[in-house]
Amino acid sequence: MFGMNTDVQAMIPMFVAVPLGMSLLIQLVARHRQVLAETLNIAAMMALVVMSWSTIGGEGIYHLGGWPTPVGIDMRMDALTTLLLLVVSIVGFAVSVYAVDYMRRFTSTSHFYSLFMLMVTGMNGVILAGDLFNLYVFLEVAAIASYSLVAFGCAHEELEASFKYIVLGSLSSALILTGVALVYGITGTLNLGHIAERIAESGMDEPLLLAFGLFIVGFGFKSALVPFHAWLPDAHPSAPAPVSAMLSGVLIKAIGIYVLARLAFNVFGISESALEMLRWLGVLSMVVGGLLAVGQKDIKRLFAFSSISQVGFMVLGLGLGSPLGMVGALYHLVNHSMFKSLLFLNAGAVEYTTGTRDLNQLGGLNGRMPVTGATSLIGSMSIAGLPPFNGFWSKLIIVLACIEGGYYMLATVAVLVSIITLAYQLKVQRMAFFAALPEALKNLRREPPMMSLAMILLAVGCVALSLLMFSGLRDPWLIGTAQQVLSAGAFGG
Amino acid sequence: MLRSLLTNPMALPVVFPLLAGLVCLLLPNAASRLRVWLAALAAIVVLAFVWPLFQQAGQTWNPLPWLTLRTDLLSVFILLGVAFFGLVVAVYSVGYMKDRPHQRAYFTYLLWTLGISCGVVLANDLLILLVCWGFLALILYLMAGLSGPGAAEAARKSLMIIGGSDALMLLGILIYWHLAGTTRMDGAALALDGPLAYMAFLTLLAGAFAKAGAVPFHSWVPSFGEKVDAPVSAFLPASLDKLLGIYLLTRLVLDLFIPTPGMYGMLMLLGAVTVIAAVLMALVQHDLKRLLSFHAVSQVGYMILGIGTGTAIGLAGGLFHMLNNTVYKSALFLGAGMVEKQTGTTDLDRLGGLAKLMPVTFIVCTIAALSISGIPPLNGFASKWMIYQGIISSGDNGSFAWVLWLAVAMLGSALTLASFVKVLHATFLCKPSVEIRQMEISEKKGSMLLPMIVLALLCVVFGVYAFQVPLGFLIFPVVAVTVPGVWWSGLATVLILLAVIVGIGLYWLTMRGGKLRRMRTYIGGEQMQDVYLSNDEPGPLRHVEVTGVDFYDTIEQVPGLHRYYALMKDRVFDIYEFLKRSADYFVQMLRALHTGILPSYLRWFVAGLLLVVWVVTMEGR
Repeated sequence: MFGMNTDVQAMIPMFVAVPLGMSLLIQLVARHRQVLAETLNIAAMMALVVMSWSTIGGEGIYHLGGWPTPVGIDMRMDALTTLLLLVVSIVGFAVSVYAVDYMRRFTSTSHFYSLFMLMVTGMNGVILAGDLFNLYVFLEVAAIASYSLVAFGCAHEELEASFKYIVLGSLSSALILTGVALVYGITGTLNLGHIAERIAESGMDEPLLLAFGLFIVGFGFKSALVPFHAWLPDAHPSAPAPVSAMLSGVLIKAIGIYVLARLAFNVFGISESALEMLRWLGVLSMVVGGLLAVGQKDIKRLFAFSSISQVGFMVLGLGLGSPLGMVGALYHLVNHSMFKSLLFLNAGAVEYTTGTRDLNQLGGLNGRMPVTGATSLIGSMSIAGLPPFNGFWSKLIIVLACIEGGYYMLATVAVLVSIITLAYQLKVQRMAFFAALPEALKNLRREPPMMSLAMILLAVGCVALSLLMFSGLRDPWLIGTAQQVLSAGAFGG
Repeated sequence: MLRSLLTNPMALPVVFPLLAGLVCLLLPNAASRLRVWLAALAAIVVLAFVWPLFQQAGQTWNPLPWLTLRTDLLSVFILLGVAFFGLVVAVYSVGYMKDRPHQRAYFTYLLWTLGISCGVVLANDLLILLVCWGFLALILYLMAGLSGPGAAEAARKSLMIIGGSDALMLLGILIYWHLAGTTRMDGAALALDGPLAYMAFLTLLAGAFAKAGAVPFHSWVPSFGEKVDAPVSAFLPASLDKLLGIYLLTRLVLDLFIPTPGMYGMLMLLGAVTVIAAVLMALVQHDLKRLLSFHAVSQVGYMILGIGTGTAIGLAGGLFHMLNNTVYKSALFLGAGMVEKQTGTTDLDRLGGLAKLMPVTFIVCTIAALSISGIPPLNGFASKWMIYQGIISSGDNGSFAWVLWLAVAMLGSALTLASFVKVLHATFLCKPSVEIRQMEISEKKGSMLLPMIVLALLCVVFGVYAFQVPLGFLIFPVVAVTVPGVWWSGLATVLILLAVIVGIGLYWLTMRGGKLRRMRTYIGGEQMQDVYLSNDEPGPLRHVEVTGVDFYDTIEQVPGLHRYYALMKDRVFDIYEFLKRSADYFVQMLRALHTGILPSYLRWFVAGLLLVVWVVTMEGR
């Protein structure tokens, strides 16, 4: 089923090479030239957008260095990887544009851009990796880049958050590595396709099940499922806003949910009891994350808890194990990457102009920061699932999938959590943008132009994604992709 | 496709106002007068587009597999109402919005609301309806936002309740889809034969109730009405949201589901509770707009009572009452808007004596107030009469609950009258307050007066010619009924006019006879002292006056009601507050767990790890 499109094949390694090369190049030539570093960063992201757009519909395996499959390193591309690459590059592009104005406050921004490029390298590598070990290596590249980016502000709060993130993150990475070792010991291969073939032939024995369990925990941690979520509400708000947007918008999906779905459905073949556990983890995350978001006063912390809740929606969709549930999960993944990164950029703009993230000290920003106000309303309504915005459609599909699967209680919980979502988003809207402007903020400036541009871009993305339901792109992008994920052995050969 | 969107007669009432709204948005600030008149003109055009649809109901338009529009007798009736009230508010806003900020956004939202409301009514698919519904909720939120930061909390509460009910409706629609196999609304009605069907019915009902503002989803209406500009209240909670909410309710019980007697009983119970609970609150309000909003809730109770009877006459009465309510309630809100525009306040304690200063507003408000209180021969009486008939005939199945419902409905009517006596007295008739005396007040704005006069005339016409005009043209095509009760509105009108003339004659005779004793004002058996007393609050001395409001405060002291008012003050019956408090309990519990201490996070991690591994390896054992 892998059509060997040579153009696409040649492009596959570039998704890793371009950001990796750019990361080094920025250090080499743009170390003290801020504008050049910004330009290179934006150029790289734009190239990635174009590349991922042009690979839509392409499939293929790239053998690194021309070595055949068991010996060399494989990179493979199918509909799901394309979808993820597209999301990473579009959000990354918007964030890069945003960072031009935002990062001016920081020193040594060239390091920021290098780390940013490394993070993108890691994510793209994880998405394209054809074997478990390289997946792990790229995972660590992305994770370590994100540890440093969380600590980029170098203040007390950032360092503490980064420390917690490193401790817990290393633990989960260790679990994943143990799982990799177990799988290699039993199947004798690390290639995902070969593992899938072996499992299809001889079934899952206990050590393999243990490895699968370790993977669920490890990647559940990376996607911040409750009870493995505790690092996220510290780490995501502490990072500079563009990084928060990348972390919550795409990182937890690229190195979390994506790998979880890949391994569970395409490699190991998930059992009903494991599916049920995924559903429970999903529901738990939805409810706990949502309720905690309601109680937050720090605008970025609130959004961070909201990410936990929204990841729960996606995992619930995955856990249904039905094509419809998968469509819902993937659609929600794409949508969430748009509106959550938008919301974090909004929060960043608020912090940038007012100097605070405390909702109690904010108010009336609609009049002073019209772009932030309007785009944050779009983001809020999207995430709250108010029709006709994009979040509405993905939640609709997830709830429908619950009902079709006979899980009426889960459907009800999903709807109630979406009301909770509305509650915390309206809290932000009211306290930050709507209520009377505090005396201290009378002399606010507007948000800088590049920041506005990035926010508008993502807001347009939110609206455009709601039209995806009705466009010709729906079938190849969502339904085709979901079918591919669900067809066991899609990774065969 | 695009071409047919712009030319199809069913698409026009939706697409045209959306485009006109866009034009309003794009017009520069300098062209504000042009925008104002453009909006009014657009509203007229919408009415012109709706009219042919009204004359020829029963069309279907199916341009895309997922997009179907349909008209039937019910939807064209509602559609006409939507277009008419859109026009009324657009014309009124010409005067009201003059010299006010946010004109661009206001008229854009107004037209968009109009177009999308038409979309709700025309939609033949529940999902399309829901999308329009959600969009309306958002615009309602944005329109509330135009009234300034003071309306922030009201806006949030409104969107929270309406948006939350949207989520419930989504659940209901998807269950309906699962059960009926379609989300089209012209399919066979679904029998309530299991928990799933009940769930679908109740969640959709929640959507209708939240929109119409019925108990227990009513609490956004008073906050909204009090804080938000009067024309917005007249347009949304008082007219459009009533039309749409009751439209959905009618669709639910007529076309989508076959309700059981138990469900009808529940509807009547909720209707009765809505009538009484809200009118009791209206009695003790001190703010004109907030008082009117409680009536906006209370009156919905009558509509639900009527529809909940499950009889044809009750249904016709409910729909008729919906129409009448929108007429007199928007008249009252527009009157309140006029008062606010001229005096700068709607606080009943600070008004008074406006009858001489604003005679047209006074007359309009009096007619509307009498109408809402169900005084014959005005329209409010005609529809309430039909609802009473419906309640009585709901007893045909042998149950005697109707006696209670009838008593409640009539008591509600009496209390409505009581609270409007207060409104008319405190606003228009009693001695003007010190502030009013210092103001230059006149009602010159013709564009504001015209809609009010039209609405007041409609109150009279819909009452006196109830059978000929509104029932014959609008209601009976939807629900064919023969009215069993004897009510000759023409004869009654003559008799009532006669009584009024006799009364005036008697008054004149008594006055002429000079047998009139003028006394000083008494309060609580003691003569009113014409002195200045110090206020509780620091500030200048206050002249003690009878404002016409204080008397009603004693109602709060009535033994049985005392407890009710105390609970209401504590907002126990406010579903928004209730859920907020319950959620807060869990939120605080969860927050207490998140201490930020790394070892405890590690413990959760390990516990989760053990659990996951245990579950996953289970099948290997």
